[in-house]
Amino acid sequence: MTLFLQTTLNGLVLGGIYSLAAVGFSLVFGVLGIVNLTHGIFVVAGAYGALVLFTKLGIDPLLGIVPIGLALFAVGYVYQRTIIQWAVSRASLVASLVVTFGVAMMARNGLQLVFGPDVHTITPSYSFLSIPLGPLRIDVVRIVALGASLVLLTVLALVLARTHFGRAIRATAQQPLAAELCGLNVKNLHGLTFGLGAAMAGAAGAIIGIVQPFTAASEVAWTLNAFIVVVLGGIGSPAGALVGGLLLGLINAYTAQYVGPSLTQAAMFLVLVLMLLVRPSGLLGNAFGESR
Amino acid sequence: MTATPGEQSGGNPTDEALLRVSGLAYDYAGVSAVSNCSLELRRGKIAALIGGNGAGKSTSVKMIAGALRSRSGSIMLDGRDITGLPAHKVVELGIALVPEGRLVFQHLTVRENLILSGHVRRAREKCTQSLGRVFELFPRLKERQAQVAGSLSGGEQQMLAIGRGLMTMPRLLILDEPSLGLSPILVGQIFGLVRKLNEEGISVLLVEQNVHHTLAIADYAYVLEKGRVVQEGEGRRLLNDPKVKEAYLGLV
Repeated sequence: MTLFLQTTLNGLVLGGIYSLAAVGFSLVFGVLGIVNLTHGIFVVAGAYGALVLFTKLGIDPLLGIVPIGLALFAVGYVYQRTIIQWAVSRASLVASLVVTFGVAMMARNGLQLVFGPDVHTITPSYSFLSIPLGPLRIDVVRIVALGASLVLLTVLALVLARTHFGRAIRATAQQPLAAELCGLNVKNLHGLTFGLGAAMAGAAGAIIGIVQPFTAASEVAWTLNAFIVVVLGGIGSPAGALVGGLLLGLINAYTAQYVGPSLTQAAMFLVLVLMLLVRPSGLLGNAFGESR
Repeated sequence: MTATPGEQSGGNPTDEALLRVSGLAYDYAGVSAVSNCSLELRRGKIAALIGGNGAGKSTSVKMIAGALRSRSGSIMLDGRDITGLPAHKVVELGIALVPEGRLVFQHLTVRENLILSGHVRRAREKCTQSLGRVFELFPRLKERQAQVAGSLSGGEQQMLAIGRGLMTMPRLLILDEPSLGLSPILVGQIFGLVRKLNEEGISVLLVEQNVHHTLAIADYAYVLEKGRVVQEGEGRRLLNDPKVKEAYLGLV
């Protein structure tokens, strides 16, 4: 029983991180209709950013979230307004798939050139602490990671629900033409949404850096995770990302514990395929309706 | 011609035109939708653009609102060249297009739909007042302000779409087929509303297939056929024109 609870706890913590790492992907997919295969790069770039800030300047990864988020926001905005926008306007939405895939390969190799192929971890002072929770134990970094993820997801949900910017994003996702007629600069909003997605991914990366080892090649897994989270939870909303992320975390943890650590990927894909067969719009559906 | 001191709005007589559109053209993937659309709307008047399906009415007004970019020609608003401006900038100059098919934001609440467009710079300060006015015009929307727009009936969605346009405090309101798919009672209400808004000082460009109603309230009307203006004249005169009668009113 203790083992089951401990596994569940680990799965939920992992799931919280998955949620944050996927929410930007989900938002971009929902609002722009783009499957951004560069998403994992943003996550890994966030982790490397946190590593550099921590080792060179001694900045705690959690504080590092702020500059990392801002930097990735800028990168995401410019990337969407140039390369992605060009590809979409000259060819089609599908072209963005090829373009983002290509950019991801280049960026991965770029990161490998700069940081080398070694596995990195970030180890702040609280790395090796853990606290008892009844019969269970939980690492402090994991609590911190889960807490930070939930806070950021909540903030994003509030921004989307309560602010003009959030309403504008939702309106643009549903009816780009009407949004433009209501005075919204849709092109700019697409860039801002993409930037926001990249910033959330970068923040997730900084948090992942203190919980898990990472390399440049991890980006593939993070893009894939984001995709599965969206399929499980539904497109476009922080709530969907949270549901999908927690589910994926639990699937991972249970499979690793009870079936075998080497089969986690297989289990993920099994659930992915089943979900696509049974409820392709995800548990919470598309936050922006069936427009796409 | 020089302006006389006594004249209103300080312009010369030809400045009576709030909107002057000439020679607009648009192709969809190489297929011509509009080849020569020219029209004029005098300040404070109602102009109508009528014609059958596929005549290019919607494409024309989308160009005027900046949602599509014309291949040629020019669009002048109040003597200012606005050709090629994107839609979100055209709104700021006081043109609101209520698009065909309403296109309300289905998953936003009624209130969110309205305050979103009330956020344009030209109307932002008066957003609360405008909201009050829209709720006064459409009590149904006030009752349902917390519901998502997708749950409204077709008529209510049309009211919301018009309300959304009014929130931007337009000088020129363009309505693209506002009566489409509505019951006869609602159609009557919509035309009554158009008249009322016009009496309050908003110039209106009305695109319609409901030709009878439209020509009855329009000061001036243009008939669009295969992407070009083929006929124009005062609304009531066109209503009695044999060609218009035959083609659009089903009377011979």
